[in-house]
Amino acid sequence: MTSARGSQSDRPAGRTKRTTPIGAGGEPSVWLMGASLIVCVGLIVAVSVLIVRRGAATFWPRPIERITLESGEAFFGQSVERRENTKTGASEERFRVGNRDLGQDSARWVDTETITERSAPEGARLVERDTWGLFFGTVERVERLAPPAGGGAGERSVTVLAEGAEAGAVLDELLPRAAERRREIRAIAASRIPAVESRIESARLDRRALLRADGDDARGLGWGAFAGLVVVGGLAGAVLGAARLRRVLPSAARPLVWSVLLAILLAGWLERPWQSGPPTGPALERRLVEIDERVTRLEARRTELTDRLGALREEDARERVVIVDPRTGRFAPASQSSPEDPMLISQVIRAAEINAMGFGDRLGLYGARWGDFLSRAPGEAPGTGGVFPVILGTVVLTLLLTVSVVPLGVVAALYMREYAKQGLLTSIVRIAINNLAGVPSIVYGMFGLGFFCYFLGGWIDGGPGTAAVSRASWWWIVAGVALCVGVAGAIAALGGKKRATVVGLLWAGAAGLAAWAVFATPYFGGFFPEKLPEQPTFGGRGILWAALTLALLTLPVVIVATEEAVAAVPGSMREGSLGCGATKWQTIRRVVLPSALPGVMTGAILAMARGAGEVAPLMLVGAVNLAPAPPISFEPPFLHGDRTFMHLGFHIYSVGFQSPDVEATEPLVWTITLLLVLVVVLLNIGAVYIRARLRSKFGGSAV
Amino acid sequence: MTAGGAMAKIEDVPERGSALDDIREGRPFQSAIHAETLSGDPVLKAEEFSLWYGASRALWDVTMQIPRGKVTALIGPSGCGKSTLLRSVNRLNDLVEGVRTEGAINLAGENIYGPGVDVIELRKRLGMVFQKPNPFPMSIFENVVYPLRIDGERRRSVLREACEEALEGSALLKEVKDRLDESAMGLSGGQQQRLCIARAIVADPEVLLLDEPCSALDPIATARIEELIHEISSRYTVLIVTHNMQQAARVSDMTAFMYLGRLVEYGPTDRIFQNPRLTETEQYVTGRFG
Repeated sequence: MTSARGSQSDRPAGRTKRTTPIGAGGEPSVWLMGASLIVCVGLIVAVSVLIVRRGAATFWPRPIERITLESGEAFFGQSVERRENTKTGASEERFRVGNRDLGQDSARWVDTETITERSAPEGARLVERDTWGLFFGTVERVERLAPPAGGGAGERSVTVLAEGAEAGAVLDELLPRAAERRREIRAIAASRIPAVESRIESARLDRRALLRADGDDARGLGWGAFAGLVVVGGLAGAVLGAARLRRVLPSAARPLVWSVLLAILLAGWLERPWQSGPPTGPALERRLVEIDERVTRLEARRTELTDRLGALREEDARERVVIVDPRTGRFAPASQSSPEDPMLISQVIRAAEINAMGFGDRLGLYGARWGDFLSRAPGEAPGTGGVFPVILGTVVLTLLLTVSVVPLGVVAALYMREYAKQGLLTSIVRIAINNLAGVPSIVYGMFGLGFFCYFLGGWIDGGPGTAAVSRASWWWIVAGVALCVGVAGAIAALGGKKRATVVGLLWAGAAGLAAWAVFATPYFGGFFPEKLPEQPTFGGRGILWAALTLALLTLPVVIVATEEAVAAVPGSMREGSLGCGATKWQTIRRVVLPSALPGVMTGAILAMARGAGEVAPLMLVGAVNLAPAPPISFEPPFLHGDRTFMHLGFHIYSVGFQSPDVEATEPLVWTITLLLVLVVVLLNIGAVYIRARLRSKFGGSAV
Repeated sequence: MTAGGAMAKIEDVPERGSALDDIREGRPFQSAIHAETLSGDPVLKAEEFSLWYGASRALWDVTMQIPRGKVTALIGPSGCGKSTLLRSVNRLNDLVEGVRTEGAINLAGENIYGPGVDVIELRKRLGMVFQKPNPFPMSIFENVVYPLRIDGERRRSVLREACEEALEGSALLKEVKDRLDESAMGLSGGQQQRLCIARAIVADPEVLLLDEPCSALDPIATARIEELIHEISSRYTVLIVTHNMQQAARVSDMTAFMYLGRLVEYGPTDRIFQNPRLTETEQYVTGRFG
């Protein structure tokens, strides 16, 4: 000590003082970091503001203006935006004009200097229609057709209910009843008749299945062979039980006995020698007659519904409204094929006199249009109707993907972190998994289509088909599996380091043989063979396969997050559990996993966020423009994994780019984008909430 | 007898010698074992027990008997192998990659390193408390009854009774009686350690292993734990590792002084602290080296 102090004071006098260089304070880097952060935050804010502003503005009722041009042309329109034409220097204004069925674009640019007059007439109405998009015009006349004369196709007399200024008020009066009729017509046409038809179809399929089963071949194993198997299995079970009780059976023999027992149970389940064959002769006849009766009853019901529908449509077609476009002087037609017939009242969803409305009324209209958009189904034409089933499809898909990816990823990560020997092989597997995250998502789409839809789905629908092996060969494969498992288990129980490779190979062999046995089983003819080949059930695109494809896509995220969470559980906690006499599995299940759960949830949240926004793979494996039925419903099995679905991300694409009238649907694209962002944010908030609950439950531990 | 020569009479061990130098330089050396440790009924008996972590040897031919119903303290400087010896008793060292042992440790006459020994069953017979309190991420109640839970006990009344008894035994019941269903993570460090003791004694272990149980605690919490060890010793055999010599003197009946993986001197605590056979032991317990 003293000598050290001495040497310090002995320092040569000429030695320079230590200094701090200017850059060491780090001000420039602090500024740089701050600036980067500002750029990031700015971008996020810009994106949010743009989407919210544009998306929320779509349904706001802007005033309807009557524009008169120098050319004498006059039209109704809503002013949307202004710009300077960079070439001519003129100022231009964009109007949304609708009336597309009268032969004009949904929006037009007008040189502001050519406008001679603009006014906001009180009577101008913005008409939202069932099918043809927006129409701007004034209500001229409301009329009622006489009921059709006994089968004659001749001219029917028309009663004018109101004309001119009163027409609007009468229309407003008639609209609620028309809406009711429209709803009833839709209910019958879109859900009640299809429901009856699907029951007729299922009866037809039952009949087909019955006749098919009639031609089924004989059983593979007879009673005798099966009795022998049962005796052997019983003995194996007895040996196992006795050995457990008296602890005499060497642990090495147990896996063998277990696998033999399992193989025998499998044989019993598959061969079922006690089961009588499918009905034949009179029994079959009776079943067929039953089915026929069912079909007759259902067909009568269908006729009844069709008649009711016809009557409703007849009634509906009588009330008509003439709404005139000022530009052409023509009225909105009932359809493009009959331009001489004015529109039916029931085609009008809403006819708002925006210019006559106060702020409160406009707000109400805004809310009502949002409500419609969120609660209705999309119409046939892109951009019509609402998005309720689309939101439903997105939510169901995201939840399905989460519940399928989390267990798979967690189990894989647990094995890799807790059981696998850390070495070259685990490193390679880890790198491979991380690389999976970088594969373009469309590649997953192709894989999903090829593997899930065609291969797995085809197998579920129709069984192995020509790939099936004969029953005798199949039992040899099963015996191979049992042997591999038994021997591997026995070697593993005996222990020894060098044997680990052999055990691994045997397990791999057993897994491969088992996969082959399952795939090529001759006992399985598919779950839905009746509908093949015309209507595959799972053998086509569907929400289940889409969810599994996305699960695969997001698997690396979950595995990495889980691995990190599991690794962060302190070793002292594991030792504590093991010290209590817990097995490794009990330790993982009761101590490690609960502590790692918040971290696992973080992985799930990331996976969800990634999966919910994916569109490209969905196009290949199940998202469609217009799904005939929602993926969840009140009829069993409630969740319909085989159905195609609609998805907000894909809906943006189909509304924005596949619509024939892109001008008209553009504002909707912003609204759908806003909804997609909101759905993802809400799902994430839900998951974060669950994670917070877990954290507080487990005392803010490890992760 | 080999290098250890542990069973030699204490009178034969040279009183003033070069034991530590012998150990450092790897010369044969004789542990000084007092006769008192050999009397009575040993619950644990190490017989020339050695342990290697890979190529490095952590324990050298340790031979000692832990008497039933007494508190035995293992003292010695850092890295002397006292924790390793403790963790060898419930085979927690098995978890370390590349560990190898020789010799035997007998628990109630049965070699725990013998072939066919079920490690899980063995650990169920012992209770262990670690250096750092390590409650599990669950409620106080679930923490205490964890050993019973993993044995498959589901009856609520049985668990409840065992939990209260164990908490009573670890002097924690009064403090947590009304919040048994709250997370154990919310307890203070001292309370957590007493919870771990409750967890260790809930299944009625044959031996209680304490691995520096107070090293992460403040003096007041330490005092409470020491008091607790004293109370517990009437019911359990306790083996405690400590780096605090006053603590060893206060709580233990027997004390073993270890150095570089060897057992140097082992005898009744008062003898070790007041009248040790070896000069080295005296120097260590009086703080003149180590």
